[in-house]
Amino acid sequence: MATIKMRNLGLVYPNGHVGLDGIELDVRDGEFLALLGPSGSGKTTLLRTIAGFLRPSAGSLSIDGKDIAGEGTWMPPEKRGLGMVFQDHAIWPHLSVAGNVGYPLKLSGIPRAQLARRVAEVLEQVGLAEYAKRKPSALSGGQRQRVALARAIVASPKALLLDEALSALDEPLRARLRLELRALTREQGLTAVHVTHDRAEALGLADRVVVLNEGRIQQVGTPAELLENPANSFVASFVSDATLFPGTLVDGNFHADHPGARFNKHMEVHRNPGIKFVGVPQTAVSRSRRAVAAVAPTGLRLEPVENRGIGTTAGRAPLARVTSALYGRHGYETSVDWAGTALRVLVSGWVPTEGQLVRPVIESAHVFCEEAGAAEGRAA
Amino acid sequence: MTTHSIAATGPATETRTDADGSSAPPPSAQQASNAGAKRRRVQERDGLGALRTGVWVVLAFLVGLPLVALALQGIQPESRQVFGDSAVAEAALNSVASATGSALLATLAGAFLAVVLERSNIPGRGALRWLVLLPFLIPPFIGAMAWMALLGANGPVNKTLASLGIDAQLSIFGGWGVVFLLAVHSYPMAYLVIAAAMRRIPGNLEEAARISGAGTARVLETVTLPLLGPGLLAAFVLTLVANLSDFGIPALIGLPERYTTLTTLVYRYLASSTTSNPLPAVSAIGLLLLVLAVLAVLAQRKLPSGSQLGSGGTGMKLELGAARIPVLVLLWLWVGIICLVPLLALASQALLPAPGVPLTLENLTLENIIRAATSPNAVSGMGNSLLLAGGAAVCCTVLGLGIALLLTRGKHRSNGALDVVATLPQALPGLVIAVGWLLIAPMLGIFNTSWVILGAYIMAFMALVVQSVRAPLASVSSTLEEAARTAGASPLRALLDVSARLAVPAALTGGVVVLLTAVRELTISILLVAPGTQTLGVSIFNLQQSGDYGGASALALLVALAGILGLSATAALANRRVDT
Repeated sequence: MATIKMRNLGLVYPNGHVGLDGIELDVRDGEFLALLGPSGSGKTTLLRTIAGFLRPSAGSLSIDGKDIAGEGTWMPPEKRGLGMVFQDHAIWPHLSVAGNVGYPLKLSGIPRAQLARRVAEVLEQVGLAEYAKRKPSALSGGQRQRVALARAIVASPKALLLDEALSALDEPLRARLRLELRALTREQGLTAVHVTHDRAEALGLADRVVVLNEGRIQQVGTPAELLENPANSFVASFVSDATLFPGTLVDGNFHADHPGARFNKHMEVHRNPGIKFVGVPQTAVSRSRRAVAAVAPTGLRLEPVENRGIGTTAGRAPLARVTSALYGRHGYETSVDWAGTALRVLVSGWVPTEGQLVRPVIESAHVFCEEAGAAEGRAA
Repeated sequence: MTTHSIAATGPATETRTDADGSSAPPPSAQQASNAGAKRRRVQERDGLGALRTGVWVVLAFLVGLPLVALALQGIQPESRQVFGDSAVAEAALNSVASATGSALLATLAGAFLAVVLERSNIPGRGALRWLVLLPFLIPPFIGAMAWMALLGANGPVNKTLASLGIDAQLSIFGGWGVVFLLAVHSYPMAYLVIAAAMRRIPGNLEEAARISGAGTARVLETVTLPLLGPGLLAAFVLTLVANLSDFGIPALIGLPERYTTLTTLVYRYLASSTTSNPLPAVSAIGLLLLVLAVLAVLAQRKLPSGSQLGSGGTGMKLELGAARIPVLVLLWLWVGIICLVPLLALASQALLPAPGVPLTLENLTLENIIRAATSPNAVSGMGNSLLLAGGAAVCCTVLGLGIALLLTRGKHRSNGALDVVATLPQALPGLVIAVGWLLIAPMLGIFNTSWVILGAYIMAFMALVVQSVRAPLASVSSTLEEAARTAGASPLRALLDVSARLAVPAALTGGVVVLLTAVRELTISILLVAPGTQTLGVSIFNLQQSGDYGGASALALLVALAGILGLSATAALANRRVDT
């Protein structure tokens, strides 16, 4: 129902901590956007800045083309016409369910009969039609979160803000509410901004995902783009659990510092479709530069080694030892220790056991060249 | 609860059999059927039971005995006829009216201060927070003396008015003065209670209202204040009960205008010899106050507490906008007029040779202070007070620590009753406690001795320690103790080694507060005083009543300064401990 534009948005907390730095982001009309990042990455700060609970120290913010925060402009949260669902629901204990849900309408001065109709309609939508007269203390956690959702959408907000809205719920219920939330926003064409630290939730729910770290946007893209084409090593390691191998890029060949991770020995790098170079200049550069290769758990396989002595060509590459193997839905989430590097691998088809010797074979990787340069640039 | 008690006693059983060296037989069906009986026996032997029994015996003596004696005496027909007396009816009416009115004023003032000082962006909040609490640090009767000095016929205010040609004699005496001064001395408590309740309101409840379209004023009106309801009521009840029982203010401010309250009436009954045996009448009045206080406490306990609100960040900041300057001016006027000027008036009275002498530098003298502080009456009063307050502080610390440990650590079914018995006396008017001890003193053979006052002090102030220990102890995870249990400590040992050790600093803080409160106590002391047992408060009161304003002010000034310094230092130390 609305677009939100952020231009060079920055926020520095009074204690000097940088909350947001140079945020450039357009939330499209009717899209479900997820803000994803580790704790302290600035995702909640960004959401609270959009809501109006935090005032940016730089840049501008506009909703539907109207400036609401920036130099000389400030619109308090109550005037922004947004809906918000808080992490621990923030249901007012002194009001009934209907009182909670009807509150935004009451403030906008809607006639009582119309208000009651709209509240009933929204409660029906979230499946709480018969709970209108209850006190919040008589509701379960999931029901309270539905009340919070109903309250957030009742006044047809320009956008729906969700601050870790599902995190406080237990797993089966959480998955169900996730689906309901998705269906509801699609049906109503709601623009939604959803803060989460749960990768599966962000990838499963959102049209586009914004990955944040240290107050900066790392990548904006569809879930598939994030998985297939991570923009940098942080995105690869945070979104896909990739293992990072620092190394050197010489003449288009990547040499990992790690003694075992050979990207150019067993496979011809420039002919191997599994290796993607990100940010590497097309023209051959003779001087060497630092780079990082990210290997996702699905980007390599483990070959069990029956006996260390009976090796053929593996003489020089060190073997890895399985440190743990956890059974999961898609196979064994296996951790191996490979000459000091902890490597995560998804194993299917056989059962790895702890302490077993294996030979890791890298099949695909992303090599990021911009890392070292960008890091130096930042430090300078 | 059942699972907890099983989990708690299971390891104890095992350690014990191991320690005895007896070979543990394999578990059998017969043993399982015996488990209930065995568990009970283990619980009795584990030491916690002994602690609990000990605490209950002490409480039965300290709290139960005086109250039962009061109730038994109060319902006698000879006692009840006191209510036919019109003087009693009038005093009761005055008591209820002045306590209700002042509690209302105090709650309003406390709510205003809590909103402005806790939530607004007003500058100098730190200093203001401390200054508005000043009346709390001064005993009410000394506050009354300060206002008498300020608004006396020869006081600075009326002199200034006269010199300006305004013929309006301001007077603090009478019913309105009592209400005003009671409010002045109880609003800090209301402020503290309301501010604490306000801090428990999660910030996101207010944010949810703002994002729904409510402005600052609307959020206060529709969310903050409704959620603050229980806190406001608690503040009202607390100040009501405290003001119902105050003696110093109605005695000094009300009596000169024949404004009698129940406390001053009881004092007159006990002090004068017109009534042959004042005890029946006094007990009936005490019982009436007891019933009123218990009803108030029960009503307040029925209300939902703030704990169900859950946790959340800090609440919103209140933007005062254009109202900022007027509010700031109002606050500093408040601090100046209510908190500082009366103290200065008291100081000048103490430092001037006689009332009415012009306040100039060469007229100031320490003579009053030296004379008053070295007079035999004052010296014996100070000695008595220090001894009694010190004794009360030590007893309250030990007892309060034990009670708080039982309340927070055990999950015994008697805990509800223990909570009520331990904290009820704090809500009781000092008059009720004094009369209760007056009644049991002859039975115990301690009539007219200092022991009566000591017992009454312990009963009255024990809850101060319980409260100061309880909150920090409740926030300490019980797993700390469970870790000691798995390391082989018995329940009592774990309790003493872990929880008690952690609670000792808080208990000592509570003990110091007891000491500072008891050393300047007046209401209980003056009703229980006997020749040779007079306390500091009684000494000052008697000096004031005999017209030696200079001497009384001098001692009062010392007490006020000691109280302000002592309590501020204790609070600062306690805060620092919480921060680290």
